[in-house]
Amino acid sequence: MTRLLRHFQSSVGSKVLLALSGLGLVGYVIFHMLGNLQVFEGSRALNSYAAFLRDMPIVLWTARIGLLGIAVIHVALAIHLSLQNRRARPRAYAIHRYRYASIASRTMAASGLVVLLFIVFHLLHLTAGIVGPSPPDRIDADGYRDVYGLLIHAFQNPVIVLIYVAGQVGLAFHLHHAVSSSLQTLGFEHAALNGLLKAAGPSVALLVVLGNVAIILAVFLRIVR
Amino acid sequence: MRFTLNIWRQNGPTESGRFVSYEADDVSQGMSFLEMLDGVNQKLLVAGEEPVAFEYDCREGICGSCSLVIDGIPHGPDQGITTCQLYMRRFPDGANITIEPWRAKAFPIVKDLVVDRSALDRVMQAGGYVSVNTGGAVDGNALLIGKDQAETAMDAASCIGCGACVAACKNASAMLFVAAKVSHLALLPQGKPERTGRVTAMIEAMDREGFGSCGNQYECEAVCPKRISVRFIATLNREYRRAGIVESALPNASESPHAESV
Ligand code: HEM
Ligand code: FES
Repeated sequence: MTRLLRHFQSSVGSKVLLALSGLGLVGYVIFHMLGNLQVFEGSRALNSYAAFLRDMPIVLWTARIGLLGIAVIHVALAIHLSLQNRRARPRAYAIHRYRYASIASRTMAASGLVVLLFIVFHLLHLTAGIVGPSPPDRIDADGYRDVYGLLIHAFQNPVIVLIYVAGQVGLAFHLHHAVSSSLQTLGFEHAALNGLLKAAGPSVALLVVLGNVAIILAVFLRIVR
Repeated sequence: MRFTLNIWRQNGPTESGRFVSYEADDVSQGMSFLEMLDGVNQKLLVAGEEPVAFEYDCREGICGSCSLVIDGIPHGPDQGITTCQLYMRRFPDGANITIEPWRAKAFPIVKDLVVDRSALDRVMQAGGYVSVNTGGAVDGNALLIGKDQAETAMDAASCIGCGACVAACKNASAMLFVAAKVSHLALLPQGKPERTGRVTAMIEAMDREGFGSCGNQYECEAVCPKRISVRFIATLNREYRRAGIVESALPNASESPHAESV
């Protein structure tokens, strides 16, 4: 046990945990997006999907607690490493020029913070229904909770759309660097694979954000109603 | 050619420093960056002022002593060379050039542009020895090493320990240096007996010295005078994981091998 602890306490070990927790969150984000894309199949598909998830309280709550745990580990390690990194250079350069580093890689803490704030807002808004314009809490024709109606109501509001799109931009920046970076942290590297590993971050970022933004804009532009 | 230099001056480790402006004139295109600084110092000496302290030894890109951040880039604007291999023809006549020391907590400033890089030596020491048999010399060809393997190990071993990777990294991380040192031994049969313990000891020593962690931005590779690839950082990450699994018992502390004499 102490051996494990010691292994993961080092900078490299901490980065491995950061990468694994981050990839766990990436997996969830992709799953979440794919699930929500059912909005394009109409209210029936989405509402029964939502009911299907809520019908398995044990699975649902295990997943929720697991996700929360992973997110807490990720954020705690990110803060810990960022502070340590700041201490490693007490005095900044008068001039510092980057050569390779992408904008996304330079703003990981900022984009992470945007994502964190967004997640909190999103949970309070659609999961708990505490913030935002109060939606009609209806039951649809099949007797399911009308999640579809909730989405339509939410994303017809330009302020809500703006907040959600901003959250997605933050997520895009974070994932652009994060996914490829985590693969390097985990030691994936091979002459034949490097192109693929490098493209993984931008591709995943694009996929997730396009999917999510498509839902938001489709509702806002009354394509889906 | 003539240049206006903005140079970091600092009298000692604990004193506060500041930028001082100097004019460098009568500079020829064929002068190296260090020769240009020699000229500036010559004038300062004649004027009875304290010359600018900067470090060098070989002046041919092999020792890793020279260490200047020139206009925000360690070893200056060209890739794959050290400061001593940088020539003044690379700069437009009349340019303003800002010169700073490597900046990292693990590299305290000794004076002006000279920093103490012995943290890197201590990381190497923590890596420990390589077992070598004594006795009659073994035939040179007895130990077969594939060409690719030897070449890759040599790529890693070309690290001259200048610390530019640390200087360029936003987190002042020494990962590329440690990766090069760990990889070149891990890739060769000579490094196998101590392979497992070495990587853990070196990473713990790296953390102890106060270097940051790797953010995978690859600024280190961009400034490395030997163009050492960040693929070795992936190798280091794998070696560390392997050690975590394989190692039967970790040593109590990865102390420096000279600890008992303290
Ligand atoms: C959906 C949510 C999130 C996902 C999918 C995610 C994913 C990731 C991944 C895969 C990494 C790469 C690890 C590596 O470099 O090896 C990472 C790094 C990081 N994340 Fe997140 N993350 C999320 C949320 C957050 C939040 C909320 C914060 C902070 C408040 C944050 C801060 C960071 C930081 C600072 C890094 C380190 C970057 C570096 O090493 O330079 N992340 N993230
Ligand atoms: S002085 Fe030796 S590498 Fe520059």
